[in-house]
Amino acid sequence: MLTGAIVSTIVIWLILLGGLGFCISRIGRGGEWED
Amino acid sequence: MAEVTRERWTSRAPFIFAAIGSAIGLGNVWRFPYMTYEYGGGTFLIPYVIGLIVMGIPWMIMEFGMGRYFQKGAPGVFEGIGKKWEWLGWWPVWVAFMIVTYYTVVIAWSLRFAISSLTVAWGLGQAGAEGAGDFFFGTVLQLSDGPTVLGPPVWFILGLLAFVWLVIFLIMFRGARVIGKVSIFLVILPWLLLVVLFIRGVTLPGAIDGLNYYLAPDFAVLGDMEVWFAAFSQIAFTLSLGMAGMFAYGSFIAKRADVNNSAVITSLSDAATAFFAGFAVFSTVGFIMQALNIPVGEVSASGLGLAFVTYPVAVSMMPGANALVGVLFFLCLFFLGTTSAYFLAYGGVAVPLMDKFGLSRIKATLIVTIVAFLVGILFTTQGGLYWLDMVDRAASFYGLLITGALACLVVGWVFGPGKIREHTNETSDIRVGAWWDWLIRIVVPAGLIFVMVVGGFMKDLKEQYSGYEVGALGGSDIIWILLGVTLIFSILLSLIKTKTAGGGE
Repeated sequence: MLTGAIVSTIVIWLILLGGLGFCISRIGRGGEWED
Repeated sequence: MAEVTRERWTSRAPFIFAAIGSAIGLGNVWRFPYMTYEYGGGTFLIPYVIGLIVMGIPWMIMEFGMGRYFQKGAPGVFEGIGKKWEWLGWWPVWVAFMIVTYYTVVIAWSLRFAISSLTVAWGLGQAGAEGAGDFFFGTVLQLSDGPTVLGPPVWFILGLLAFVWLVIFLIMFRGARVIGKVSIFLVILPWLLLVVLFIRGVTLPGAIDGLNYYLAPDFAVLGDMEVWFAAFSQIAFTLSLGMAGMFAYGSFIAKRADVNNSAVITSLSDAATAFFAGFAVFSTVGFIMQALNIPVGEVSASGLGLAFVTYPVAVSMMPGANALVGVLFFLCLFFLGTTSAYFLAYGGVAVPLMDKFGLSRIKATLIVTIVAFLVGILFTTQGGLYWLDMVDRAASFYGLLITGALACLVVGWVFGPGKIREHTNETSDIRVGAWWDWLIRIVVPAGLIFVMVVGGFMKDLKEQYSGYEVGALGGSDIIWILLGVTLIFSILLSLIKTKTAGGGE
């Protein structure tokens, strides 16, 4: 049971932080923040 | 019509933090962790992430994108689609107004508990644990027997409500520039407080058992429709969409700046905050289970019960730093709630008023502050909790889901989502494909209607909500009346001529 919780924790953090990391790495490819 | 310059976020960070601040709120602490525990532990995150991808993020891109495209708050956006649709922009404004009137009262309760935590006023040790429920319902709320027994306001709460509104007014009367800067501080601070509460939680005896309940996966639940409903309902309520405000926040984005990536960052940050808060909450639940020798099912781990009864019980039973932990927890709720409250008050209500009537920002924010405070007095009375429950059901359940679904249908089938997709793709770090159009046309509205129907619509039709009785009316009747009246007011507002072309500054 405890192993499942630990694996869940690792996998979920990988998904969330991996997703955020990907988004942050894309910053600057779009437009400007001033009109 | 007077042409005015739209106010702007000063850069990306203030906008992202303001959007994250609006999304993360009390629900991240008292709803998400419980849903995860209740619906399959770690497995719950599978339908949750799928819901985020097919419903939450597309919906947020739509609200940001439409706001930016039309450079207006929600009513101006739907007026831009066609004058006959403007009412659909006003209905979520009423939803935001109703929510902020009682949400600020809950923030006032949090402040009340932060103050009471200084002396752990409900008591220490076993006595405190046994007295925490009475302290909340008896001392703090002075709860009456039913919604018709209002009694006088609880003066302490009323005073704190005035303070909460003063804080909100001082943040929002200078507009997006100040909101953005303040949000950076008010989002990071509760994150730091959650880290402290997490460390306190996991170092308590029994914490591991609580975390095991929180996250142990159960893959069998993936075939259960109730789990998918739970995940989609959490998505529907957690991102502060369907409350008009995100259209306004989107309208402050510079015309050449990113939209799509900001929506994904906001959504993932909201999810990460909720997931992390679960560690602080469930480590504490595990501690209570061990300290009081009770099973997990007997610990109230969600909603008001978690925040204002269970957590005070834990504070009473902790081996040390009781007062400090109590103060930090309730200040954390205060900060989390405040960023959502000024989002609702400013983006949700004040900006549409400025756009429509050409009001100055100070006049619009002052009107919203005073009127919402006066309405909020109802929820500070001894019968206020019952009314809070009914208005919450009308606004943040039915109002949000109905207006959110209708907005997506009108954008999807009348305006054409392709225009918004091309508009946001042109300047965004991440591009979305034509599949996004179909998510807006079908999946998002279907998901929201699914949540409404499975979430109790048929039950509320058959029997009165929570068994409340107000004279000849029942709880459900009050909900239908609130929805009907706000719809009529929305139609009436849409018939008035719009005075500005741009809004903002």
